[in-house]
Amino acid sequence: MKKASELQYGEKLTISEIDFSHPSSQRILEIGFTPGQEIELIVKPLFNDPLAFSVRGSIIAIRKDEADCIKVS
Amino acid sequence: MNVQTTEKIPLITLVGPPNSGKTTLFNYLSGKNFKTVNYPGATVEYSISGLQKKFNIKANVIDSPGIVSLNAHSPDEKISVDALFNHPLYGQPDVLVVTVDSSQLSRHLLLVKQLKNAGFNIIVALTMNDLLRKKHQEISLSKLRILLDCEVLQIDGRTGDGINVLLNKISESLNNRNSSIKPNAEILKSFNNQSLLELYKEIELIENDVIYEINSNGNGFNLETANAELNILSQPAEKKTKYTLDSTTLKIDKYLLHPKFGALFFFLIMSATFASIFWLADPLMGMVDDFFAFLSAEAALLLGDGWFSDFVANGIISGTGSVLVFLPQIIILFLILGLLEDTGYLARGAMIVDKPLSKIGLNGKSFVPMLSGFACAIPAILATRTIPNKRERFLTIFILPLMSCSARLPVYALLIAFLLPAGKSWLGGIILASIYIFSVSSSIIVAGILNKFKDKIVKEEDNSSFIIELPAYRRPKLKFIFINSYINVKAYLQKAGPVIIGFSIVLWFLTYFPNTDPQIDTTGLTETEIMHVKEAERISQSYAADLGKIIQPVMTPLGMDWRVGVSLIAAFAAREVFVSSLALIFKVTDDNEETIQQSMLQSMRQAEIGDTGQKLFTTSTIIGLIVFFIFALQCLSTVAVSRKETGGWRIPILQVIVFTSLAYFFTFITVNGLRALGVS
Repeated sequence: MKKASELQYGEKLTISEIDFSHPSSQRILEIGFTPGQEIELIVKPLFNDPLAFSVRGSIIAIRKDEADCIKVS
Repeated sequence: MNVQTTEKIPLITLVGPPNSGKTTLFNYLSGKNFKTVNYPGATVEYSISGLQKKFNIKANVIDSPGIVSLNAHSPDEKISVDALFNHPLYGQPDVLVVTVDSSQLSRHLLLVKQLKNAGFNIIVALTMNDLLRKKHQEISLSKLRILLDCEVLQIDGRTGDGINVLLNKISESLNNRNSSIKPNAEILKSFNNQSLLELYKEIELIENDVIYEINSNGNGFNLETANAELNILSQPAEKKTKYTLDSTTLKIDKYLLHPKFGALFFFLIMSATFASIFWLADPLMGMVDDFFAFLSAEAALLLGDGWFSDFVANGIISGTGSVLVFLPQIIILFLILGLLEDTGYLARGAMIVDKPLSKIGLNGKSFVPMLSGFACAIPAILATRTIPNKRERFLTIFILPLMSCSARLPVYALLIAFLLPAGKSWLGGIILASIYIFSVSSSIIVAGILNKFKDKIVKEEDNSSFIIELPAYRRPKLKFIFINSYINVKAYLQKAGPVIIGFSIVLWFLTYFPNTDPQIDTTGLTETEIMHVKEAERISQSYAADLGKIIQPVMTPLGMDWRVGVSLIAAFAAREVFVSSLALIFKVTDDNEETIQQSMLQSMRQAEIGDTGQKLFTTSTIIGLIVFFIFALQCLSTVAVSRKETGGWRIPILQVIVFTSLAYFFTFITVNGLRALGVS
């Protein structure tokens, strides 16, 4: 299992768990990152942060530190 | 609060996630004729309007701030959510219209489900149906109606398609409403991570049932609809909805968000934006300026001599002119921002700058306000509302006055002209560019330093977050952008206009009264020259001059005297007033536009401080003045808007103190430093 922030460009994995101890976790959940969803790292920009993922047919950019609370496998 | 209880006008509230087309729909329903009001005692705003008369439904419609879910993550969001349940002025909504981006059904249904569970009477309006069709997908409305247990329909707020159906449904819903059903805010307490996960599970099941693929030629989907409807309960939800991304968007992002070229494109797009704000607007601003100068002169002629004539010409008309002169720039700014937003780039720009901005305590979402700040700090401060974190929002508001707004341009133009050696006007552009680079760098440094004291500026500790949806690129709808810019420009005029005109009138009073009739030697002077000399004399005896003389001791260390002091005070109404004020004080005696600057520079070069024989304007004091204008918060409208948006005097007073001290300190260092180095 790894964190969404560790995905490689273009890598697709499924969310297994959200770390609810992270203060942004509820917002991340609300925006559509839920266990069972497949996510793909779409954009890795200039500073490697924020990262943009495809989830539920949308592209969502979140900070790297926020992507840490999304566990994927 | 006095709510009319005799017969309550029905209330329609629009709710929806950001980017779901909610405001577009609101503009369509209200006919752009709405007022924007703060919730009592809060900085959160909502817009309200009667439904357009042509729709024949007597009802009020409210546009609430965009929310992703009913879970409030900040005090501001809590106010918005609470107002959904029970609006402080208008009570409970009779019907909620929830806008849902049909290409993002999965994520947007969350709010719908929460609202439904809370017991609201809702109508779901699916927007962006063209985007879904582009993905070769379609939604079965009839199924969605059954599964959500509410009315569902498709609309396009940009073209007005489907609005009539929506209006019929609204009217039906209002006629059949059952007043005993009341939404219950208690449900908010039961929302937690677990319930969110369960909601999403339900949504996935709904989604599997209602979304189906259509042939790329778009034919035959009726058959599929029918089939899909037949299978509504018999088919277990085994198949997973296929999420597809817009392929064009992915292709464009390969370039625009490329790790290296992305920054280059960002730089190019920003440069183009700046170039248009300044160059396209310049001739238009000249026209507005000329027009008001003409009006003012005509009014003075028409009304003859006397204080009233002067009040109308110089107080009211020039005051109005000083607001409207920036209108071209602000219109162009809003048009470009609208274009960037409607295409989908703005969110990406915010993403690119989030990392560097977060280093100095700001947020990627500070990007749009900072950009707007180069035209005018007022719309920029209003634009900070999209920043969810209060501390980052206040910090952004704090540094916005350092963005070199367009009101400083006429001042810089005059001061640079003074510095330029004859025949080297190309140097002017370089000096101006350096001023802008210097302003940006100092705002970064100031933000960085302020960030160290952030606990003292805003006490609340919020989680800093940057979660933003990157919308699919779309071809912008120009008509829609024009309408939106019109609304924004109108909002700006309503906010800033009265303040600026009000202060211009106060300043007029200070510079006009006590209105002594000055005795001057009129031999050998023409009529206009006599008028100008008299005017200059009157100013030197006015209340403003008295004020200026009080601050003389403050000006002396800067190598300047009360005349500059008065102009600096006058510049508080609007910075560019500095120029016209200097023109008045230095007895500029020519009406020709071209030579007015020449003759002004001439008399500025001759001006001496008292009887000391020391020149007032030298290279060092002029550079000092430029530095002063870079830092000083000389704009009462900014102070007023900053107070309104931060909900108190704390931030604006801190801003005035910090920026005035910085301005004074750096001007002192500049003037005396340059003199120590031998620059006169």
